[in-house]
Amino acid sequence: MQDTRFGDFGGVYAPETLMAPLEELEQAWRTLRADAGFQAEMQSLLQHYAGRPTPLTHAERLSDELGCELWLKREDLLHTGAHKLNNALGQCVLAKRMGKTRILAETGAGQHGVATATACAKLGLECVVYMGEVDVARQKPNVLRMELMGARVEVVRHGQRTLKDAINEAMRAWVSDPQAHYVLGSALGPHPFPSIVADFHEVIGREARAQVLDQAGGLPDLAVACVGGGSNAIGLFRGFLADESVALVGVEAGGEGPETGRHAARFSGGTPGVLHGCYTWLLQDADGQIQHTHSVSAGLDYPAVGPEHADLQARGRARYEYATDDEALQAFAALSEREGILPALESSHAVGWVMRERDVLQGKRVVVNLSGRGDKDLGTIMALRGGSAADGADASEVVA
Amino acid sequence: MSASNRLIEATSALRRDGRRGLSPYITAGDGGLDRTCALLHALERAGATCCELGVPFSDPIADGPVLQAAADRALAAGTTVDGIFATVKRFRDEGGSLPIALMSYCNPLGHRGWPEACAQAAAAGVDALILPDLPVEEGAPVRAAAEAAGLCTIFFAAPTSSDARIQSAVEASQGFLYVVGRTGVTGAGTTFDDGAQGFLQRVAGLAGELPTAVGFGIASAADVTAATQHADIAIVGTALVRHIHAAGPDDAAAVSAAESFVRELVAGTGAPSTS
Repeated sequence: MQDTRFGDFGGVYAPETLMAPLEELEQAWRTLRADAGFQAEMQSLLQHYAGRPTPLTHAERLSDELGCELWLKREDLLHTGAHKLNNALGQCVLAKRMGKTRILAETGAGQHGVATATACAKLGLECVVYMGEVDVARQKPNVLRMELMGARVEVVRHGQRTLKDAINEAMRAWVSDPQAHYVLGSALGPHPFPSIVADFHEVIGREARAQVLDQAGGLPDLAVACVGGGSNAIGLFRGFLADESVALVGVEAGGEGPETGRHAARFSGGTPGVLHGCYTWLLQDADGQIQHTHSVSAGLDYPAVGPEHADLQARGRARYEYATDDEALQAFAALSEREGILPALESSHAVGWVMRERDVLQGKRVVVNLSGRGDKDLGTIMALRGGSAADGADASEVVA
Repeated sequence: MSASNRLIEATSALRRDGRRGLSPYITAGDGGLDRTCALLHALERAGATCCELGVPFSDPIADGPVLQAAADRALAAGTTVDGIFATVKRFRDEGGSLPIALMSYCNPLGHRGWPEACAQAAAAGVDALILPDLPVEEGAPVRAAAEAAGLCTIFFAAPTSSDARIQSAVEASQGFLYVVGRTGVTGAGTTFDDGAQGFLQRVAGLAGELPTAVGFGIASAADVTAATQHADIAIVGTALVRHIHAAGPDDAAAVSAAESFVRELVAGTGAPSTS
């Protein structure tokens, strides 16, 4: 294998059974990324099926309120409601061209699971999605969407029962069936996954850069994205890596605050180590055991960060901050009420950081990747806020 | 590698004498580390060639439900890497001479730095390292540290491995080559059919002088006999861990159950070899 690391980070820490499938995947990816037919098929699917390009929206009312120029890259408007489809479609087309018929995936918030189920339905592939029991409960609409599109959802009842455990189980399933393709959903895991996933999301940053130049008349001062594993962030960042004037900011889940221990802010409370196939920043205890994480958003509730982010941080090209649960919820409310956009709780973290840092962002042009829409989070939001006219409404007489 | 390494001596002796061997696996700290120490003595008494001592990890991606649960129990009991090293040292101080291969996912050992981890393991009386999420590609720093400390490193061959990959694993391993008998996680049954035997034969050919140990799904003396048709050593993990746990909370009962089960499995190595 080649170029398995980003600086010191990444690598291939995988069981021997998976090494041949990983080598095969790397080979297929290197061949197909340079293949005009593959690129044309992807381009067509992204445009005519997924709905690319997604818009760049000037959030005018919130900009006025914050005193900065806030632009939103609208990945929430991509088919299935999040950026995840870029990668799911890409990997499923790749897998199909490799002759694979069975797809395995993990999911946290359910968006990657929905995107993979969607791609499998579109391409005629069998799909099994592993999802932690806690996430199944808090992202139920996405479970139903996957099932309606013909995917089988395997509920993971081991460990913390969130994304980490879903990845454990998906990797076990892949070790048991190495003929299947494992569609890893974030820019993490063993090489070549971090590179493949970033390649398929690069379109976000490429579009955003052209759009901001066109619509705002210049580059942004900052490009900001939430970071769970880091796929939407790496997609946005890649568009601006060569523009040294653009500060890149990844926003991790601060949960109840890093000082409480109930968070998923790896760069604030972690150290480097090996999890799920790569060497990167982790939340671990003094004995190298992986720690539990907490975030109001299922998609950021994960103890490791993608290795390319670890390298960007080490090189000083990007910096990593956090927003707490409360700050994300405030951002959710602000975008809903001021802009008419219900953002995913994940994406709300990026907006929440901008809102908290408004004083130092005065007059700055900021592009935020609005990685997904918030429909899936309505249950969580309403449970925290309470008080809807829908509460207690009774339609039984009409239905009867 | 120093000629005095217990594992190399034990597995070379198998070859020299034309015998087959058994390598039982236990999860360190499952039932407490006092029990672990007593179990190591029991495995030695029962005639094991060597043993694999598992370091519990929070996220064991190559393990099935039985070994996941064992790791959870060990961690819940407060098992640490330092505690495991102290247990191995105690076993040696009490006269234990069974070769011990420490089986750990990368992070619990790598977290303290490979040179430190290897030096501490060797000082405690560990003989080898087996790291299920460390392929040969990432092995260089571990191999250097292990060699400096006098520890064997043991890499894997799987049914999906090409001859070239198996060759690299053989070159990077001492003591034995770990052969994954089938695709999948630990615990589910393995059938030693013609396909599996053909794979074991292919690996044995590539391993040459290096003894081979086959694991995954071996649960009975008959399995041991079948597994060692084309391999030097049979590894029994899940079945033993389940057996010990089923014996209940009394350490003496658990140790006695382990000893009699391992004796029974060792008897399976006495079958005539056809390789």
